[in-house]
Amino acid sequence: MSEDARFCHDAGRAFLETRDLTKTYRLGREDIRALEGVDFVANQGDFVVLNGPSGSGKTTFLNLISAIDRPTQGEVIIEGVSTTNQTDRQLAAMRRNKIGLVFQSFNLIPVLSAAENVEYPLLLHRLERPERKRRVSAMLEEVGLGELTKRRPNELSGGQRQRVAIARALVTRPRMVLADEPTANLDSETGKAVMQLTSRLNKEHCVVFIVVTHDPAVTIYAQRRFRILDGHLTEEGNDAPVASAA
Amino acid sequence: MLLWLPLRSLLRSRRRSLLSLAIIGLGTTIAFVVLGFVQESRALIRETSVAEFGNLQIASPQLWEDTAEDYGYLIQSSALDQVSALLASEPRVDTFTVQLQFPALIASGDRTQIVRVTGFVPGNPTLSRAGEIVAGRDLAPSDAAAVLVGRSLADRLGLAPGSVITLTLTTVDGAYNATPLQVAGIYQFSSEQVELQSLFIPLRYAQLLLNTTGVDRIVVALGDIADTPATRARLQAGLTDAQLGLEALTWDELSPFYRQLSNLFDILFGFIALAMAVLVFFIILQILTLAFLERTREIGTARALGTTRRGVLGLLLAEGAWLAVIGSGLGLALGAALSLGFNAIGVKWAPPGTVEPVVLTIRVGITTALAPFLLGVVATILSSVYPALQMARLPVVDALRVE
Repeated sequence: MSEDARFCHDAGRAFLETRDLTKTYRLGREDIRALEGVDFVANQGDFVVLNGPSGSGKTTFLNLISAIDRPTQGEVIIEGVSTTNQTDRQLAAMRRNKIGLVFQSFNLIPVLSAAENVEYPLLLHRLERPERKRRVSAMLEEVGLGELTKRRPNELSGGQRQRVAIARALVTRPRMVLADEPTANLDSETGKAVMQLTSRLNKEHCVVFIVVTHDPAVTIYAQRRFRILDGHLTEEGNDAPVASAA
Repeated sequence: MLLWLPLRSLLRSRRRSLLSLAIIGLGTTIAFVVLGFVQESRALIRETSVAEFGNLQIASPQLWEDTAEDYGYLIQSSALDQVSALLASEPRVDTFTVQLQFPALIASGDRTQIVRVTGFVPGNPTLSRAGEIVAGRDLAPSDAAAVLVGRSLADRLGLAPGSVITLTLTTVDGAYNATPLQVAGIYQFSSEQVELQSLFIPLRYAQLLLNTTGVDRIVVALGDIADTPATRARLQAGLTDAQLGLEALTWDELSPFYRQLSNLFDILFGFIALAMAVLVFFIILQILTLAFLERTREIGTARALGTTRRGVLGLLLAEGAWLAVIGSGLGLALGAALSLGFNAIGVKWAPPGTVEPVVLTIRVGITTALAPFLLGVVATILSSVYPALQMARLPVVDALRVE
C-alpha cells in the first residue's frame, strides 16, 4: 500500500445519494427521458458497477452524479450537500476536491507528458511544486508507469494511457471516482490489468468507485451491480428497482 | 505549467501558429516601418521649423493675429529691456536676438518679386545664416545696405554676390521708401519657400528704412527643444506679470506647415495602424476560433477536472497573449532589420517643400517600437477574447460530447 493510502474508517457511510433523479432532453418537439426518478445511494468504499445497453442512460447518470450536468428534476447529494443550487464555480470546486473522473477515451491533454497530465489537477489545488512532484511520482509508481513519466499520450499504449487517466483521477485523493467504460478501448489483458489496479486502489484508498461498463469482465470486481434500462436503475440480485417508478 | 500549457498548445499546430505569427508579425512590421518613417520625417521638419523660427518668439498678439493696420505692434526699447532681463534670468534660454520683419518689393532689372525682409543682428548666433552661405559671405555687424538672398530667389532673378537689387517698402509712417541693396551672400535653406521669399538685412538698416527704433519680435533659442513648452509657460507668466502686452509662441505654433504635415502624418499612421489592427484582428479571430473549436473536448475535460470557467478563459487568453507577444516581437525584429537595411542603402528623397533631397531614413528605436508592439498585442489579445469566452461558456457535458 502506498503512503497516500488511507484506511476506510467511513466504510458503509453514505457518500452519494440521488433522489428522484430525472433528466429530459429535448429532441425536436419531443422530450426524451434519459433518466427517470432514480434514487440511489453509494457508501464509502463501495465498488459499484453500472451496466446496460447503449442509450439506456448510463452516461447521463454519470454526468449528473459527477456534477458536470444538471438534472431536470430531483437532486444529487454529495456528502450531505445538494448540488441543485450550487453555482458553476461551486460545482467546479466540488469536482476538483471530491471527484475523480476516468473517461472512456482517456481524455488526456495531448501536449502534456504523462506526469504533467497527472499534475494538472494538483495545479488547480494550488499545491506547492515539491508536493505536486511527490504526489505525481508516487501515483505513477502505483499505476506502474514510474518509468514513462515524460512520455506524451501519443507515445503510450491504450492501457498505459488509461493508467495515466486513473492516476490523474486519484492524485487529488478524491472521495469518489467515476469511470465511464474504462476498459472499452483496451484489449482484454490490459482491461484486466486496469480493473485489478482499480479494485486495489478502491480497497487501499477507500474511494467510492462507480464504473459504467458493458464489459462482463469488469463486473466481477463489483461489490454492487446495477443495471440501467430505459432510464430506470435496478440493483442486480435485488429485483426491486431502486428507481422510484415513474 | 499553466503558463507553458498555452504555449505548448500553440506548438501542437505549428503550421497554423506560424501563419498566425506571420500575420501578427507582418502587421507589426508594417506599422513599425511606417511609424519609423513618420517619426524621422517629423523630426526633420521640426529641425527645419526650429531653424526658421527659433524655439520661441515673443511679440505683440497683434503681430500673430495679423490685425494691425500699421506698425503698432512694434516693441520699443523700454519693453525690450524688460524682456531681455526676463530672458537673461531664464536658465533654459541659450541665446536670443531681435528681428524686424516687413514686406517689401524687390526689383532686379525688369523682374520684381514680393518678399519678406528680416532685419537681424549680424553676429548674433540665434538663427545665424553663417553655416548656410553657399556663395559670398555672411553679413557683418559693420554692414549697412547689404543683403543675404536665398538660393532659389538668386536663381530666379539671376543674382550673385555683388549684384544690386532695389528694395521698395512702406515706412511705419506710411511713406514709400526705396533703397539699393548689394547682395553680400547667397544662403541655402531646406525650405524652398524660405529661399524664395526671405531676405536678410542688418537690423539697424531695416530700422532706418522703416523709420523706427522698434523691433517686431524677439527670437529665443533653447539648449533643448524638449524644454520649449515649460520655458514658454514661465516666460509667458513673466510677460503677463510685467504687463507688457506681449505673447510667447512656440516654434510649432509659428509653423502652420509643421502642424499640417504633422497632422497628415498622424492620419497616415493612424489609418495604416487601424487597417493592420483590423486585418490582424479578423484573421487571428478566425484562426483561434478554429483552434479552440478543435480542442472543445480537451477544454471540456479541463472543466470536468475542476477548472473554472474563468480558469479556462485564462488559459485560452494566455494562448492569444503568447501569440501576441511572440508575433509582435518577431514583427519588431523584422521591422528593425528591414529599416536598418533600408537606411544602409541610403535612398534619397525631397520632403514636401524642400529643395535638397535628403537620405530617406526610417527611425529605429524604443519610441518607434512601442506603438506597433502594443498594436499587435492588443489586436491579437482582443481577437482571442470572443472565441475564448465562447469556449469558457460551453456547458461541460456538451464540450465532452464533441469528438
